[in-house]
Amino acid sequence: MAEIKIRQTGKSLYCEEGTNLLRNLLDAGIFVDNPCNGKGICGKCKVKILSGEVSSMSETEEKLLKPEEIKEGIRLSCMTEVLGDIEVETLQKERKHEVLTKGYMPDFQKDEYNNGYGIVIDIGTTTVVTALIELATGKELANASMINAQKHYGLDVLTRITYEYEHPDSGVRQLQEAIVNSINSMIEEACQEASVDKKEIREIDVAANCTMMHMLLGVDARSIGKSPYRPEFTEAQELLAKEIGIEAAEDTRLYCLPQVSAYIGADIVAGTYVCELQKETGNVLFIDIGTNGEIVLASRGRLLCCSCAAGPALEGMNISSGIRAAEGAIEDVKITEQGIKLQTIGNQKPAGICGSGILAVVKELLRTGIVKKTGVFVKKEKLKEDDYRYPYIRLNGTKREFILHEDPELLVTQGDVRQVQLAKGAILSGFIALLNKAGIRMEDLDKVMIAGQFGAHLPAESLVGTGILPKELEHKLVYVGNSSKTGAYMTLMSRKVKKEVEELAEKMEYMELAETENYERIFSESMIFPSFSS
Amino acid sequence: MQTKEELLQRLSDCVFEMEDEEVVDVVNAYIECGYDPQEGMLQGLVDGMKRASAMYEEGEYFVPELIVCSDAMYAGIEEFQKYLPETEDNSIGKVVIGVVEGDTHDIGKNLVRIMMETGGFDVHDLGRDVPIDTFVDYVKNNEVDILCMSSLMTTTMPGMSAVIEKLKAEGLRDKVKVMVGGAPVSPAFAEKIGADGYTRSAIEAVEFAKKLVGAA
Repeated sequence: MAEIKIRQTGKSLYCEEGTNLLRNLLDAGIFVDNPCNGKGICGKCKVKILSGEVSSMSETEEKLLKPEEIKEGIRLSCMTEVLGDIEVETLQKERKHEVLTKGYMPDFQKDEYNNGYGIVIDIGTTTVVTALIELATGKELANASMINAQKHYGLDVLTRITYEYEHPDSGVRQLQEAIVNSINSMIEEACQEASVDKKEIREIDVAANCTMMHMLLGVDARSIGKSPYRPEFTEAQELLAKEIGIEAAEDTRLYCLPQVSAYIGADIVAGTYVCELQKETGNVLFIDIGTNGEIVLASRGRLLCCSCAAGPALEGMNISSGIRAAEGAIEDVKITEQGIKLQTIGNQKPAGICGSGILAVVKELLRTGIVKKTGVFVKKEKLKEDDYRYPYIRLNGTKREFILHEDPELLVTQGDVRQVQLAKGAILSGFIALLNKAGIRMEDLDKVMIAGQFGAHLPAESLVGTGILPKELEHKLVYVGNSSKTGAYMTLMSRKVKKEVEELAEKMEYMELAETENYERIFSESMIFPSFSS
Repeated sequence: MQTKEELLQRLSDCVFEMEDEEVVDVVNAYIECGYDPQEGMLQGLVDGMKRASAMYEEGEYFVPELIVCSDAMYAGIEEFQKYLPETEDNSIGKVVIGVVEGDTHDIGKNLVRIMMETGGFDVHDLGRDVPIDTFVDYVKNNEVDILCMSSLMTTTMPGMSAVIEKLKAEGLRDKVKVMVGGAPVSPAFAEKIGADGYTRSAIEAVEFAKKLVGAA
C-alpha cells in the first residue's frame, strides 16, 4: 500500500504500489485534465512529483514535456506508476465554465395542464443543461447546468466508447451512473431553487447526441464507435424515469427524442425542428459546430444531413496554448499596428486560448497577412524590421510561430494553424458535399442557422474570416442558441410536437461523408483559407 | 530541342508547382526527344514530389499541397507508362498498407502511400476498414517487407494489435516489419502492441521504412 499526498489540500489517498497515478487521482475525484483519457497523447495530465518513488520517465513524456518541466519534476500522470509513498502537486484548477441555456423558439400550441412540472435536459458530451418547467404556464422556473461527469472517462464520445470496449463488464453501467447522478443532482438543485417537490414532476424530456443517449439509457454504445457506425436504436424512447435511476415520482415519464444515425442525434433533430427546417421552402443550412460538426440542409423539401469530424481544435484542444472556454481563456484577439489586444473570459489574466479565441487569432493572422491562405506563416525575412508584425514572428527550427502573449508565453504555432485548417476543412467540406448532393450552389442559400454552445461564441467575422463559412454567407447567419434544449422543451409541452419531431427524424436523410465521391479532393480544397485583399 | 536536364527540371517543377495538366505535355515533349522514360519518372516527377515533401517537413506545404502535387506526379507517371515496357521491379521494398477494421478515415493513409511510392517502394493498398484477416492473408500469400496500418479513432486502434497477434499465431510475425500510425496512435502504443515502429508523419514514415529495409 502506498500513500499519495496532495500538496494543495494536504489530503492523502492510498493505492496499491505499481498502479497508475492518473487513475488513482481520478478515482479519488481529484481534477486532472485528461482529454485523451490516459493514452499518452494529449500531454495535458501533468502533475509535479515533489517526493517519493515513481516509475522512470517514458519516451512519450520526454517528447511531450519541455526540458524545464522535466527538470522541475513534472510528469504525465497517465504514464506514471506509483512505486511508494509520494507527494504530488496537481497543476490545473478546475475552472468555471460558461454554459449556454437559452435560445430561439418558434410559436407553438402548448397542451393544457392544470398542475405539475416537467424537466427538460440537453446532454452534451461536455455540458449538461437542465430546466424545470411549470406545465400549466410553460414557464421555466429554474435551471441548472454542469460539466458532464462522464468526462472522467474521456472528453470526447470516442474515448468514452473506447472505455466501454476496454471495460466490457462495467463500462456501460459506469457511464450511465455518471450521467444519471449528474441529472439527479441538477433536478434536486432546480427543484430546491423553485421550491418544487420533485414528486410533482410528471415528465422528463431529453435531447442528446446519439452516444450520450445510449449511455443515458444504459445501452451499449460500442457499435457507434466503429464503421459502419450503427446505433442500437434511433427511435424516440418512452419509459419510466425510475427505470434508469432518475429520482422523481414513481410514475414520472421519460421521453427521449428520436435520432437519425450514430452521428446525427436527437440534439440535431431537435434543432432542425426548432429552426423549422421541415417547413422551409427555400434553401437553409443548419450547423452545430463542435468536435463533430453536424450539418442539415433543407432544400426543395428534402432534408439532407451529415456529420464531420472537426476534431477538438475548435474547443481549444490539440492547440499548443489551448484551454477550454473558462475563466482566463482568450476568446477574442485583435492585431493592430499599435499592438495585440486580447479579451479573456471573466477579464482574467490570460491563461490560454479557447476555441473562439483560436478562430479569432487565426482570422487576424490571415487578415494581417501573417498567415497566407495556404496556412503557412509569412517568412520573417520578407518583412522589414520596422514592420509592426516583425517582432511577433519567431523562428522555431524551420517553422515559424506567432507570439500572442509574453507572460505567460502563449504562442500560435504553425502546427496550431494546421489543426484549425483541418477542422475548417472538415466542416466546409461537409456542407459543400451536402450542397453538391442537393445540386445547389453556395449563393442559393437563404439562411444559415448556427446552433450550439460553441457556435454562439463565434462571431460571423471569425466564421467567415477563417473560411469555415464562405464570404457569401456573412450576412445570412442566424444564431439560434441551445436549440437542443429548446426542442426538448417543445416536446415536453406538446404531444403534437412529439409526433412531428418523430416524423421529422424519419424524413432526414443521412449522408456518410467518407463515402462521398471525391471527398478527399473536396476536403483538401476546403482546407485553403480565404485570402484578404487589402 | 530542349536538353534532357532542362526537361527533367521542368517535369520536377510541374509536380512541385502542382501543374497537373502541363505535366502531360512535358512528358510528351520528353518522350519525343527520345529520352529514357524510367529516368524521366525518377529524376523528374519523383524528384518534384521529393521537393514537395521537403517543403512539408519544413512546414511550408500541408496536406492540400501534397495531394495536388501527387495528382501532377501520377498524371505524369500515367503518361510515361504508355511508353514503358512491362516494368521490371526497381522498387526498394514491398509495402502493404491499410486502415484497420471499423475505421473509414483514409486521407492520412493515402498520404503515406503516396510518400512511400515516391520513396521507391512498391505499395499495395488494401484500402480502409480492412478486416484483420485480410492483412494477415496478404502477408501470408505475398512477399512483403513492411506492413503499415493506421487508425484515426481510439475505438479501432486495438485492431492493429489484433493483426500483430494473429501474425504471431500464424508464425508470420518474423516475415514482415510492422509500422503503425494515425492521430490517436503514440510511440508508447506502438511499443505496447509490438510494432516495429511508429512515425508521426508520412514523410518520417518513408525514412523509417527505408531503415527497416536497409535502404537508408
